[in-house]
Amino acid sequence: MSIGESQLGGVGVRMAQQRYSWIFGLAALALVLGIAAPHLIASLLWMSLLTQAVVDMMLATSVGILVRQNGRISFGQAAFFGLGAYTFGVIAAREIASPELALLAGLVLPTVVAFLLGLVIARIPGVAHAMLTLAVGQALYEVAFKWRALANGDDGMSVRMPDTIFGIDSDVFQSPATMLVICWSLLVLMLLALSLMARSPFGQLTEVIRENDERARFIGYGTTLPRAIIYGVSAFIAATAGILQTLYDGYISPQMLHWSASGMAMIMAIVGGPRILWGPALGAFVLFFFKDIAGDATEYWPALVGGTLIAVTLFLPEGFAGLIIRLTSRAVRRIKGERP
Amino acid sequence: MTTALEGRNLSRAFGGFRALDDVDIAVESGEIRGLIGPNGAGKSTLIDVLSGRAENWSGQIRLNGEDITRLKVQDRRHRGLARSFQRTNIFPAIAIGTQLTVASRALGETGLSDVVEALTLGHLLDRRADEVSYGDQRRLDLALALVGRPQVLLLDEPAAGLTVEESLKLAEILRDLVRRWGLTVLIVEHDMEVIFSICDRITVLHLGKILAEGDPGEIRRHPSVVSAYLGSQA
Ligand SMILES: Nc1ncnc2c1ncn2[C@@H]1O[C@H](COP(=O)(O)OP(=O)(O)OP(=O)(O)O)[C@@H](O)[C@H]1O
Ligand SMILES: [Mg+2]
Repeated sequence: MSIGESQLGGVGVRMAQQRYSWIFGLAALALVLGIAAPHLIASLLWMSLLTQAVVDMMLATSVGILVRQNGRISFGQAAFFGLGAYTFGVIAAREIASPELALLAGLVLPTVVAFLLGLVIARIPGVAHAMLTLAVGQALYEVAFKWRALANGDDGMSVRMPDTIFGIDSDVFQSPATMLVICWSLLVLMLLALSLMARSPFGQLTEVIRENDERARFIGYGTTLPRAIIYGVSAFIAATAGILQTLYDGYISPQMLHWSASGMAMIMAIVGGPRILWGPALGAFVLFFFKDIAGDATEYWPALVGGTLIAVTLFLPEGFAGLIIRLTSRAVRRIKGERP
Repeated sequence: MTTALEGRNLSRAFGGFRALDDVDIAVESGEIRGLIGPNGAGKSTLIDVLSGRAENWSGQIRLNGEDITRLKVQDRRHRGLARSFQRTNIFPAIAIGTQLTVASRALGETGLSDVVEALTLGHLLDRRADEVSYGDQRRLDLALALVGRPQVLLLDEPAAGLTVEESLKLAEILRDLVRRWGLTVLIVEHDMEVIFSICDRITVLHLGKILAEGDPGEIRRHPSVVSAYLGSQA
């Protein structure tokens, strides 16, 4: 029992339960919306764009969770996206093992690598940490770029899909209408799992460590292991995104691991608001279509993305998600008749 | 009486400067020991070494006879050695109730409600630590050290930055809790009124070395302590 509960009595418990039913309710609603989406969106092009956007949202979420639970900035998250994609793609394409095993390996390898890396670099803060993640990411990129025997180096490699994976026809993964539902559902389930984790004792511990690593040790905790676990969770999400992209495109290339992909994911997370669980996904969604529109308007679209980043950092420290929360809570107060 | 906490040949240098120079200290079980000395004497450095915060130091430390020289901070804490900080060391963006709950998950809930009550934190449990007053933050810093009812408490100027009234009140609270729980305490404090009223014995540090040790009466009369530190305060 926590002191919050003991002192607040039943009220605290009831409030917590209400908050949980909210989360499950939202997740269920999001799942239903996703399943309905292909029937509401007629255009195949739009469904395809949305599928790509959801993969970006997943990658941005994986960056965000590192910020939210560990207080760490990563410029190498594409490494785990790409490692997942390559592990799955190479094993499946070369028929080294069954596609199911390839998929599992594509999830497990990045998770384990990130966990082990986390044990080493988790306690290094700030710029040094960002540079280390950048270095790791670029090292993997160089391997994928130069090692032709692995997957044709910089040309990339097409991954011919097996007929079925886990009994599911591979066409399902390559058609936008079904893949959109799969990617979206996985994203929703991940956000649900992450929000339950954040409320769990483990989640609370990682936030306490994020706030003050030293004092966390002075209240009896080792801080390296919890941090490393978050690295693993974060890489697992990135690897899932990488595998989904490989399934959808049937193609892997070193660009998947490039630092610019890591940087873009970080920008998406910051613009959306990494302190809020769904913020990075929101940022990725907004920027995905912003890039698209800005790219049609001018070849200098990266400057527009950069400008957005600067504006958000200066004026919206909590990102778009923070803005939305502020506006809705103000609206709720107004409806309840309180003064803002 | 048994020795609760013992440090031998404790030294720590910053560059060529010896902030702690071959210090021996032994605190008896149940004792309240004052640690005084001018600014820069090495008081915080000694607390850092004993609590496991310091790096690059030498010497041996025993807790209830067990050698804890090489133990990490968190392992010393689990053995009952806790500390508070001269510069407030809390978890800024976390609700106070959550911080205490997380701490009690690691250290046990023994006495938690006593601590919350004694330090009057009950009405602040839902507030983030960076949103409460400085005085509240100081009491939280202390509460985090008291979670799980530690056996030996190292207090580095618990009243630093508080008003005279606040610090007198805090001294009273601490004295009550320490007596009730039978804690062993090593306390650094600049207010001599507090030190002379609550301590069983006092150790005086000066330039990283022990200048004197004795009961309050002896320290008050000690000629070199008076000239080096107390001056007209005594
Ligand atoms: N990290 C550090 N690097 C260099 N010198 C340090 C460091 N920490 C402490 N010192 C020096 O070591 C000496 C002892 O410092 P310490 O903080 O232990 O003093 P103190 O007795 O606690 O003083 P105060 O009453 O001001 O808190 C001081 O001269 C201080 O400048
Ligand atoms: Mg000090």
